[in-house]
Formats: sequence, structure tokens, C-alpha cells
Amino acid sequence: MAVKVLIPTPLQKFTGDQATIECEGGNIIEVLNALEQSFPGIKARLCDEQGNLRRFVNFYVNSEDIRFLNGAETALESGDEVSIVPAVAGG
Amino acid sequence: MTLTPIELERYRRQMMLPQFGEAAQEKLKSTTALVTGVGGLGGTAALYLAVAGIGRLILVRGGELRLDDMNRQILMTDDWVGQPRVFKAKETLEKINPDVKIDAVFEYVTPENVDSLVHDADIAVDCAHNFTERDRLNAACVRWNRPMVEAAMNGMEAYLTTIVPGETGCLSCLFPEKPEWDRRGFSVLGAVSGTLACLTALEVIKLVTGFSAPLRSELLTMDLDRMVFAKRRTYHDPHCPVCGSQNQSLSRTQVTTSLSDSLIEPLKSSLADSPENSLVPNY
Repeated sequence: MAVKVLIPTPLQKFTGDQATIECEGGNIIEVLNALEQSFPGIKARLCDEQGNLRRFVNFYVNSEDIRFLNGAETALESGDEVSIVPAVAGG
Repeated sequence: MTLTPIELERYRRQMMLPQFGEAAQEKLKSTTALVTGVGGLGGTAALYLAVAGIGRLILVRGGELRLDDMNRQILMTDDWVGQPRVFKAKETLEKINPDVKIDAVFEYVTPENVDSLVHDADIAVDCAHNFTERDRLNAACVRWNRPMVEAAMNGMEAYLTTIVPGETGCLSCLFPEKPEWDRRGFSVLGAVSGTLACLTALEVIKLVTGFSAPLRSELLTMDLDRMVFAKRRTYHDPHCPVCGSQNQSLSRTQVTTSLSDSLIEPLKSSLADSPENSLVPNY
């Protein structure tokens, strides 16, 4: 299940400055595990010690917040775009 | 509110917009907008609200101008470094448009001042450089049923949405917790904060006048590095500790009795960072 993941700038240091990563995964958790395999350390920025998604980072599948869907278990289809949007406060 | 002959001439070109006209201009003139954080984002948003003919601006910002603000804070002048920003912002805006009433509040958003600031305004514009002030403003806008335009950026990325209490989710629905944040540690190019500021002012103008379509329940995300703009649906949490129905009725009861943040702030303080925090964003 190949999906496209959009990586926010602060996390691009893990991905070798790549803003977009193609990876395999049938749901959000599987995608995060796939990301961690390729880019060690990135998952800890997105999940807490218990493996729950951090509540200051939003995940969108295409344009939909996964909290409207099935959270971390949200199923993905080939070609889906997963966006990671962290809270920021710059002004 | 009737427009003077000078105002009719000053705003003639924008009143030519389809569905704008004198009616929209009069609505702008009768509006008070609260702008918290008068920096690269809030100062520039205030500029575009002033030239558009908003009736009154309440500018809220503590602290003095620093030389490293000058790459983006376009209401400031080089000789003002070391002086309180908010007074220069008022002076500059009054020179550009003397018809706008401007109140300069040389304070940060605090539990003590937030309710009176929001109560005095028709709409709030959230441009602070830290999550603590943003969370306070959000909670007060929910308490007083005031719309809030939420604009924030970091480096080459930015987002924007309009929060209408009772209709859309609030900032706490959008992000229930906040990461550690260094208010002077985020990188910023003036053209990036300025781009977001123009869109922020546009959002206020749309919401106040009813002209065009504001970002209700939509988050506009902007990657100005790759020039990718996208709109996403914002989450509305029915159990939100700030705007969820149960907590909202509690907070309104509290406001009626004491106008204090004592009930809401303990809830929020566990979620919010300190404005003095010096750690890097932790995500």
C-alpha cells in the first residue's frame, strides 16, 4: 500500500531534507513504523513513550483529520496522501 | 455607521469589488479588532486592517523592539530599537490612516487582562509568538463568543483558520496539547510572516463584512518553501475542555460571577508552555 507522506520542516532533518516520502503501510501506525525503519528517531517525535500519537501533531489523510476517521488505525489506500501538521506559534 | 466624504474617497477602489460596496465598508468602520502580538505577523495584519478602514484596533504586545525584529516588523523604524513596539505601531498606523482609532496596550495577554480585552472587541486576531497567550485568547473568545482568526508560522510553513465559537472547533480542538516552544527560536523571513499577515487581514475583512468565504472549519496550510497551499477540515471535539458543551456552560457561569480565569486557566496551564521556555520545538 504505497502512500505519500508530507514531512514538516522540523522533521526533515530525519529524512535527509526530503519533504515527501513514499512508503508502505495499511494504516497510520504502519506508516509510522515504516518511517522509523528508514529514518530512525522520527517516530519518537510523533508518538509518546506508550506509542500514542502526540496531541500537538495532527495527521490528515488527504484533507481529513484522522480524528474524524479511525485515529491511528485509519486505513490507507494506495495513493493516499498523509500530511503531518505540528502546532506552531510563530508570529 | 455612515462614511465621511474622505472615507468614501479613501476606500473607493475596494468598494468597487463585487459584493463589497458601501455596506461592507460601513461594517468595517463599525468593527473593533483585537490584535495580540504586534510583530511580523500581527503588526502587518494590523497595517492591512488599518488601510482597509477598520474602525478601531486594540494592539496588545509587551516588550521592547529588538534589532533582530527589524527584518519583518514593518511598522517599526530603526531609531525605535529598545522602545516599546506597540506605541510605534500606533504612531505609524495613525500616520497612514488617521481615521482609525488605535489603542496601544503595552502588555502581554494575561489571565487578568484577557477577558476585558476580548469583551471590548468584535473579533480577535491571534498573532502571539507563544502558545500560552494563544491558549488564553482562545479560551476567552469561547467564553465571550467572539470569532478569532488563528494564524501561526514557523520557518517557511504557516497555517490559518477562523474559529467561530459554537460553530467551529477552537484552537484546543485543533491542537489539544502544545509542544515546547522557544518564542525567539523560530526562524522567520519577513516575506513569510507578511504573506500570512495579509491572508490573516483578509480573513478578518471577509468575516466582518460577509464578503466572500472565510476559512470556517478549514485549516489553510502553507508550505512557502515548495509553494504548496492546501485546505484541510479542522477537528471539532465535542468533549473539548475549552469549547465542549459541558465545559462551556461551566466557564460562562464562572465569568458571570468573577470574570476570572480561575476555572479555565488551571485546565489550560497543564497544556500550555511557558513564554519563557527556551527549549526547541519538541516534535
